[in-house]
Amino acid sequence: MPLDHIKIMQEVRSFPTMTGTATKLLSMIDDPNTDVAKIEEVLRLDPGLTANILKLTNSAYFGLPCTVGSVRQAIVLLGLKRLTQLILASCVNAIIDKPVPGYDLSPGELWRHSIAVSIAAEDLVRELRLPEMPEIFTAALLHDLGKIVLGGYVKDELQAIDDKTSEDVSFVQAERMVLGTDHAEIGAMILTSWSFPSEIVEAVRWHHMPDEYEKKTILIDVVHLANVLCLMIGIGVGREGLLYVPSPEVTRRLGLKTTHLEVVASRTLEWVNDFTERFGSN
Amino acid sequence: MKHVVLVGDMKVARKGDILVTHALGSCLGLMVYDPVIQVGGLLHAMLPLSKINPKKAEENPYMFVNTGVPELFKAIYAIGGEKSRLIVKAAGCGTPLGNNEMFRIGERNYTVLKKLLWKNNVLLKSEDVGGTASRTVHFDISSGQVIVSTSGMREL
Repeated sequence: MPLDHIKIMQEVRSFPTMTGTATKLLSMIDDPNTDVAKIEEVLRLDPGLTANILKLTNSAYFGLPCTVGSVRQAIVLLGLKRLTQLILASCVNAIIDKPVPGYDLSPGELWRHSIAVSIAAEDLVRELRLPEMPEIFTAALLHDLGKIVLGGYVKDELQAIDDKTSEDVSFVQAERMVLGTDHAEIGAMILTSWSFPSEIVEAVRWHHMPDEYEKKTILIDVVHLANVLCLMIGIGVGREGLLYVPSPEVTRRLGLKTTHLEVVASRTLEWVNDFTERFGSN
Repeated sequence: MKHVVLVGDMKVARKGDILVTHALGSCLGLMVYDPVIQVGGLLHAMLPLSKINPKKAEENPYMFVNTGVPELFKAIYAIGGEKSRLIVKAAGCGTPLGNNEMFRIGERNYTVLKKLLWKNNVLLKSEDVGGTASRTVHFDISSGQVIVSTSGMREL
């Protein structure tokens, strides 16, 4: 479908960028000379973003002993890395908190799924005693960004894509056969245009097919596993259901057992519910 | 009235109500119905055995098949249901593509359910389980009718 492919690429190029405040904040946090007062100053001009950051800070997932009421307190208790993640989460929410055609996700479901994969991925890292990876929250949060662009095209070619899927052909492979690209690749393209670090871009690009990438990274592996797990427990599972393949190679590489998955699933559900409920309430 | 049962939850309802649950992937959806007094219940359990997180099971028994299923039957008995009349149907318990042993949570959910039912002499009247589908269940408590929809629809 060359015509579709051209149109898809045009859409990727015109995809919204993050808000000015967020871009400014993220570069400030990256700069070791920035002090907290300056970050507070920028946030004061964006009460919506500040409110979102505080709501997320107070979610059960972070398990803080007291209710946090100021950005300064949030930074002291969670650190700047977490602040970056929460700023991103707030911005991404505005982009993905809508219905996604093709995959038939109801409004808010892709957001819920994205947060769930972030939480499950971090929990898998702890459960499997893997080295800490600060990028994993963001990589997981953004892994399905491409669905926002590709959804409309998937909807138009649904019959053709469905016909390609089988025991041996996953939904993402069928997307590629029919549309010449897939939602993982589109997500990676958007993040490249947002100037994201390459390790996050590659984690998004290969999250369904970690075995096909010549470099093996734990970041990709964990996002891959957390994604399938969240679909299985019904968080963000679309009309294509479980037509995805959890890689046995990744399972072996990380020493993953069913109990790891089950323990993480049992914790993830309530954290996600709390996280997304807070965000939905004003 | 329509009641939605979320993941890791259970609800009972009476004549006139409809119980709905969405996005059954590897989770188990269990529907129990007493046609004489027209009451029913629906459980949406996520994981097979509570022993992996006993604390969670204490807070929320509906998260697990081994603790949620007995709670569902108890709730039905509490509103007048009788074991000899109960019609039991199951949906969900799906598995992703490929042969990854570690991801067979859906199959394990189904096995634990069957063992529990067998031990208690309860039969499944019908089921729509396994495969890769994400299922939605509509359970009409007036008629006992259970409709499972994926991309299409079929009656259980």
